[in-house]
Amino acid sequence: MHEAGIAQHLIEIAAQHLQRVPHGPVRRLNVRIGELAGVNPDSLDFAFECFAKGTELEGARLEVERVPLTVDCGACGGRTAVVDYVFRCGACGAEATRVATGRELEFVSMDTDEPSEEGVRAPD
Amino acid sequence: MHLIDVQTGLLANNDAAAAENREMLRRRGIYAVNVMSAPGAGKTSLLERLLPLLAARWRVAVIEGDIVGSADAERLAKLGLPVVQINTGNACHLDARMVHHAVHDVVHGPSDVLVFENVGNLVCPAEFDLGEDDAVMLLSVTEGHDKPKKYPLMFRRAGLLVVNKMDLLPMTDFSVGEAVSAARDVHPGLDVVRASCRTGEGIAEVAAWLERRIAVKRGAAASDAPPPASSSAEKG
Repeated sequence: MHEAGIAQHLIEIAAQHLQRVPHGPVRRLNVRIGELAGVNPDSLDFAFECFAKGTELEGARLEVERVPLTVDCGACGGRTAVVDYVFRCGACGAEATRVATGRELEFVSMDTDEPSEEGVRAPD
Repeated sequence: MHLIDVQTGLLANNDAAAAENREMLRRRGIYAVNVMSAPGAGKTSLLERLLPLLAARWRVAVIEGDIVGSADAERLAKLGLPVVQINTGNACHLDARMVHHAVHDVVHGPSDVLVFENVGNLVCPAEFDLGEDDAVMLLSVTEGHDKPKKYPLMFRRAGLLVVNKMDLLPMTDFSVGEAVSAARDVHPGLDVVRASCRTGEGIAEVAAWLERRIAVKRGAAASDAPPPASSSAEKG
């Protein structure tokens, strides 16, 4: 699947951000993946671990927040949690809805040690 | 702990490339459709039947995505249309950057309609916008009617669902009613055509659906679009 490419892109984005700011060892990368996103978190985690080897992200943990699938109704405006992929308003039954949450595929942030900690060891 | 804010979409690079492709196509008034399905559902067979109908009125170009080989491109080249083969190597889908050069060539050639035949896969292609106007997906009756709930994103993306291999229906336990009902749970109002590339059933309906969509696009771009291939072939 395409998790390998996404993991490589994740590492590229991380490297760009790390270049810009002083930082200690990277401990954690925080990503959000919606229920409807075509990405398997376990595959992404595995791919990340492989591609992170030999980079400054080696040993960092990938923290995945799953975002549930919800829709907003175009008629009554109510928000509905989508169950069994039935895209319909739970309040008024309208079919005209738009996905409110669940399509996310976002790299949110990174947790690193404080940049001032001189001589800090790389994570094991 | 120290927090570095990133806030970047993991498909941001693809989305940006897709936006560029879309803008190039829009400027020339070229309508683009992304044809997707599982492997073996009949994408190439559908195009072999469908493209001659479209080519009677429009200048059609094809960008053919396959992991390796050029068998499908060779089949479509027999129709006398320009076909660009893209081998994705180890990637299971076309993405907007992969097709960028081919789209560039198409917009600088004489084309009205661009067809992407994606790599056979119900998961990954759904996530990667190419810059197309519409997505058409095929579901063949040999795949099972439970697929819409298993691959919801693909059915959300599609503007038209082609239920293919209808000639094989008696040999299967496939319920067209259940498949369409599940597909419309996932995507209310989804257009559906029942088709068979062997008997020709439904092919004209698929062509008519695309003609309507092409008309919408060309209507929107009327002022700067090049003229159709043959003005004498105007549809009555």
